Amino acid sequence: MPITLPAKLGSLAVALIALIVLPHLTTGYVVYLANLMLIYIILALGLNILIGETGQFGLAHVAFYGIGIYTTAILAGRFDVPFPVAIVAGMLLAGAIGFLLGAVSFRMRDIYLALSTFAFGEAMQWVFKSWDDVTNGPNGMRIPQASMFGFRITNDHDAYYIVLAVTIVVVLATVALMRSRLGRAFRAVRESEPAALALGVNVRLTKVIAFTLSAVYAGLAGGVYASFSSFIHPDSLGFTTTILVLTMIVVGGLGSIAGAIMGALILGLIQELLRQAPSYQEIIYGVILILFMMYAPKGVAGAIKARFGRSAAK
Amino acid sequence: MDWQVIWLFLQQGVASGLVTGSIYALLAVAIVIIFKTTDAPNFAAGELFMAAAYVALYLLVFLALPFVAVVPISLGIAFIAAALFYRIVLQKIGSSAAVTVNVVIATLGLSFVLKGLVRKTGVGDVPRSFPSIFGNDTVMIGQAVLTMQDIGILVLAVLSMTIFFLFFNFTRTGRAMRAVGMNPKAAVLVGINLRRTRMLIWGLSGLLSSLAAILIAPKILMTADMGSVVILGFAAAIIGGFTSLPGAVLGGIIIGVVENLVGLFISSRAISVAPFVAIMLVLVLRPQGLLGGKVAVKKV
Amino acid sequence: MKTMFRAALMGLVLTGSAGFSAQAFPVKAGQGSYSDPGITDDTIKIGLFAPLSGPAQAYGEDPLNAARMWYETVNSMGGIWGRKIELVIEDDRCNANDLVAAVKKLVEQDKVFMINGGSCSAAAVAAQEYVTRAKVPYVMLNASGDGALYPPTDYIFGAISISQRAVGGTAVDFATRHLKGKKIGYINHDDAYGAWNLETAEFTAKEAGATLSVESINPNITDVTAPLLKIRAFNPDVIILTTYARPATLILKKAHELGMKMPIILTVTGTANLKQLVDNVGTKDAFKNFYVQDVINDTPDGPKQKWVLDMYKKRYPELAAKPDHPTPYMPYGIPAAQTVTHALLLAGPNPTREGVARIMRSLTFESGVMAGLISYGENDRAGQESSIFLKFDGDKQELQPGVYVSRWVYKP
Repeated sequence: MPITLPAKLGSLAVALIALIVLPHLTTGYVVYLANLMLIYIILALGLNILIGETGQFGLAHVAFYGIGIYTTAILAGRFDVPFPVAIVAGMLLAGAIGFLLGAVSFRMRDIYLALSTFAFGEAMQWVFKSWDDVTNGPNGMRIPQASMFGFRITNDHDAYYIVLAVTIVVVLATVALMRSRLGRAFRAVRESEPAALALGVNVRLTKVIAFTLSAVYAGLAGGVYASFSSFIHPDSLGFTTTILVLTMIVVGGLGSIAGAIMGALILGLIQELLRQAPSYQEIIYGVILILFMMYAPKGVAGAIKARFGRSAAK
Repeated sequence: MDWQVIWLFLQQGVASGLVTGSIYALLAVAIVIIFKTTDAPNFAAGELFMAAAYVALYLLVFLALPFVAVVPISLGIAFIAAALFYRIVLQKIGSSAAVTVNVVIATLGLSFVLKGLVRKTGVGDVPRSFPSIFGNDTVMIGQAVLTMQDIGILVLAVLSMTIFFLFFNFTRTGRAMRAVGMNPKAAVLVGINLRRTRMLIWGLSGLLSSLAAILIAPKILMTADMGSVVILGFAAAIIGGFTSLPGAVLGGIIIGVVENLVGLFISSRAISVAPFVAIMLVLVLRPQGLLGGKVAVKKV
Repeated sequence: MKTMFRAALMGLVLTGSAGFSAQAFPVKAGQGSYSDPGITDDTIKIGLFAPLSGPAQAYGEDPLNAARMWYETVNSMGGIWGRKIELVIEDDRCNANDLVAAVKKLVEQDKVFMINGGSCSAAAVAAQEYVTRAKVPYVMLNASGDGALYPPTDYIFGAISISQRAVGGTAVDFATRHLKGKKIGYINHDDAYGAWNLETAEFTAKEAGATLSVESINPNITDVTAPLLKIRAFNPDVIILTTYARPATLILKKAHELGMKMPIILTVTGTANLKQLVDNVGTKDAFKNFYVQDVINDTPDGPKQKWVLDMYKKRYPELAAKPDHPTPYMPYGIPAAQTVTHALLLAGPNPTREGVARIMRSLTFESGVMAGLISYGENDRAGQESSIFLKFDGDKQELQPGVYVSRWVYKP
């Protein structure tokens, strides 16, 4: 049962309207969750470029997220840099460091790449925690109230449309990117490096670009997070956050934009709902992950694709 | 700092580092044998080890069984539990997609389940220990002080790693396991039962985790979150080369010693970051790890 | 038991601001319309939260249970101004994002009048900005929460168990005054707790003319050889450990192996289960010169704590039968809930959020649970800043004379 184009556009329009009216129907609590989930969508899309599209197991995503948060918070808080500029600076710094990490680790593969980037993530968390003068160390750092394009963000409602707009732009940009030559180069590298080389793809450069882009996404997610969150603590910038984002893209369906979005929403919801089952939640969460891997190995996007034919999940 | 102090620091730092390092090495071996044969890092390695420690605690303290009974029973339970996980969960995943990352997420799921179960019992909150097999009398080696427990850990760790090494190189089953690791398709062609062998490997890895748990629990103490120490096992494995058993041992010892030297001569604050800096240094200079073979081009 | 409980209830007489009849609680409720959410003629809604899952569950679950049984007891005696307390309970997972989500749910969705909760300081601090903007009175559960208490804000009250500032300060005070230490080895964590308790430790050491040698370790450390060797090389008169129980055990063990005989003080951060501590260290010889800090008014099984224990056993018989229950942190939940009920009582029949917060800013009462008074002041949002010390030889705890009160004050 393939889904037709009008049906697709129709459901997109419905989703968009729902997203726009959401804050008028719900409380700040729900809007806060929505903001967090939009952040997770940006993070997931970024990690998906690296792992899902290019097949490079970089596990330092949270480090770039942290760089984005701290850069934005410090520039806006201490140097009175306008928030949008601070966010862009965070993206650039994250991208620059992502470029360096990609440049030193492009020789590595599989588990070696995974663990060296993991080590980098751990080391960055240590830096956030120990560089007291800059990050305020283990005390955590307050983030000033953001104001963007002339209006102040004082609560979750204020932030929502900005976060939503950024996320939509990011999604559209990602779709365009994946349809471009570069997107095809990413997938060529993932499928087979020798074949990609034969097709004239610069494998080395492609990998480094994937690293850089993925870091830019994470840096952007961090900057946007800083615009509505009032506090950041290095404890929340650990490996568990990277793993959560990885779980999102795997559960959603590796290498699929729709999958990354659905994964972020599904796991975000599961996590929030599980708070109502305190002492069983670790067990339930674990079992859910195992069941997903057993019965939907290609993720939700893969499952939908298998059910409704090719066009649905792209 | 005068030379005498430095000399003393060096002796004690290296001696203690060797002992802690052999712990990391044991954990690293449990990770490496699974990786070698199934190509997937086991993210539940730490929690298998943690749960095994609690099984031993339960038998020893709550059921008051003697040590001679506790050791084989705990090893047996860990073996069966790990093998079952492979049989029930991983085999299904392996047959449907054979994607490494799915195995990673499934083992991650297992780690949550095990932590949740141990916490459910109510004994996982307070740090616990059980009596060490060797006692806590101290011995002097040069100016360094070690306990009998330390010596016991070191000896048993080296012994069990040697046994594993011999097993993999000189027994039929061991060779079959290595063959599965090197080339599964060829292994099947020469008549090796892939599923059975991998299940056995998972069992053995569980057994090794349990052995490590019994040795180490009196030294680093048990909590439901003690599995996090396995990160250092991963670090040891990666420094050693991830597919090499001697490499894993070497990596473990390097990390144990480096942690102490960094603590002594740089700062206690830097201890926790030292292993990760070591990983990055080793991998940038030698991407296949210290004793790892040439990196094979593989599709993930 | 009755009398202790009564004393605890009546403790707020110390504020001197309430006229009491023989009855514990006035029964006539206010009537009419209320400007703040969560309050009706016969109910008042309070949001209660703590980590109820994951690694920090052990820190949060029992204090929350204790707070809940206090609220239920107050209800059983007629409630406050005739209003029954309705609790909405949430799990904050000891994590900043989740705690903020829990707080926002309680305030915006469940529309509670005020909130009481949090066992993890770093996470509790994350809610500061929101609570201040929403002007909701927030009383922490057993989080020390120093990060949200200094500088003081109008709506946030914490350190009901003890502030980390007071942990470090009073430990050094005891080491220099009682144990006459001049050179003090100080091992803390490399986290926020460590940074906070070190600040006052340095302040108090300077006051007493003592020198401090500090080693900051990661709570997950596996080998404590390096920090301890460095402390030994400093040759201290006293060693203070402000670590959790696990690293403290490793350090005590190692210190014994290395033949270090100077007195060691373990602060309340690591004293959760002393019997288990001895079992884990493996020998009583390591406890020949060993002191522990505590923040309650008696040993956990002592007569002054009996009413708390009895109440717990009666309310949670199944939990009480579990190993290691109640946890040593359990009693801290009571003064946290008392802060809420006392403030509501003093705020009169028609309480507003603003009024309750104003009352709390000068609230002082005897909890019947903690070592010192729970007391807030103009620049002071830390409730409890006193500790006692016990000598522990592996079997018995022997109370040392004096209650040590932190002298460090926040200067705006």
